[in-house]
Amino acid sequence: MLTYQITSTVLGIALAVVILWLVRRDHLHGPYAMWWVGAALAVAVLGSFPRVFDVLAGYLGVSYPPILALILAFALLMIKILTMDLERSRQERHIRRLAQRLAMLEARHPPACDGRPAPDPRGEADPDEIG
Amino acid sequence: MVLIPAYNESATLGAIVEQVRALSDHPVAVIDDCSTDSTAAVARAAGAIVLPLSLQLGAWGAIQTGLRFALREGCRMAVTLDADGQHEPEYMQDLLKPILADEADVVIGAYPERASPARRLAWRYFRVLTGFGLEDITSGFRAYNHAAMSILASPEASLLDYQDVGVLLILRRRGLRILEVPVPMRPRTQGISRIFNSWWKVSGYMAQTSLLCVARVGRGRRPSPTGRR
Repeated sequence: MLTYQITSTVLGIALAVVILWLVRRDHLHGPYAMWWVGAALAVAVLGSFPRVFDVLAGYLGVSYPPILALILAFALLMIKILTMDLERSRQERHIRRLAQRLAMLEARHPPACDGRPAPDPRGEADPDEIG
Repeated sequence: MVLIPAYNESATLGAIVEQVRALSDHPVAVIDDCSTDSTAAVARAAGAIVLPLSLQLGAWGAIQTGLRFALREGCRMAVTLDADGQHEPEYMQDLLKPILADEADVVIGAYPERASPARRLAWRYFRVLTGFGLEDITSGFRAYNHAAMSILASPEASLLDYQDVGVLLILRRRGLRILEVPVPMRPRTQGISRIFNSWWKVSGYMAQTSLLCVARVGRGRRPSPTGRR
């Protein structure tokens, strides 16, 4: 029969190991890796010492300690998801700008506005089309 | 430069490009928003520069592509018109006149009479929300001067999905002068409005644009003297 202590230790350490392995294999990189290594450490520590919540809950006036863990988890998830959406918006902006720039580079040009012919950005890459 | 965003408009686009080219010697750029028909070929055959977008960016994304291109080519002014034949190129001069006279930075060719009661209600709602005194905020028939082109080509305007309220809010924040000129328009001969054709899209559009208005409330409502040119 497993005790609560052993179950949470095994789960916490296993999750931390998986995350660290993913970071090591470069599946998670840059700021994401930092975030997830922090998460891995927190899971490992809190999994090994679940009593931490009982102490914290006592200080914070939460009468049922496991609820504190859930509330903290939700709050952190909210922050994580918000930062993901910020990052997604930034990437969306980059993708749109890139698509626009690509269209500009691929433009088939006759004359430029000020009379000076624009240099063909495609260079020698596509001689048949340039003619 | 004359900019025409086009999505599957091969039926009407050729005639429009030819008409514009006959009326003026400005270069015509067609921004092909990932059309699945022969839009790009038709535009090129009619003598337009074709900018092929590799991802579908929507009407505003296409127009911004054109604005960035026009700036890169050294153009000082840009006129946008829709590819569906609603806008009559003969009235381009009416739009350019206030810009050439330096009376406005942006001129919108308005045709309020075309609107259905529902659309008119939407416009009135946005007028109240934004404080704009404009009649036809969704018109795609517009002229921009160099200052307006530069602002709208910036990354700040890249995340907009629709070319109306969000664009006008950015311009107003920078203190640019927006003017509306009434022009006649033809009924749509081909295709349907990209926004006003399903209730789902309309509600999405209304919600997103309202959010934009509310988020930008009070920002740059008074014209800033430094932004004016």
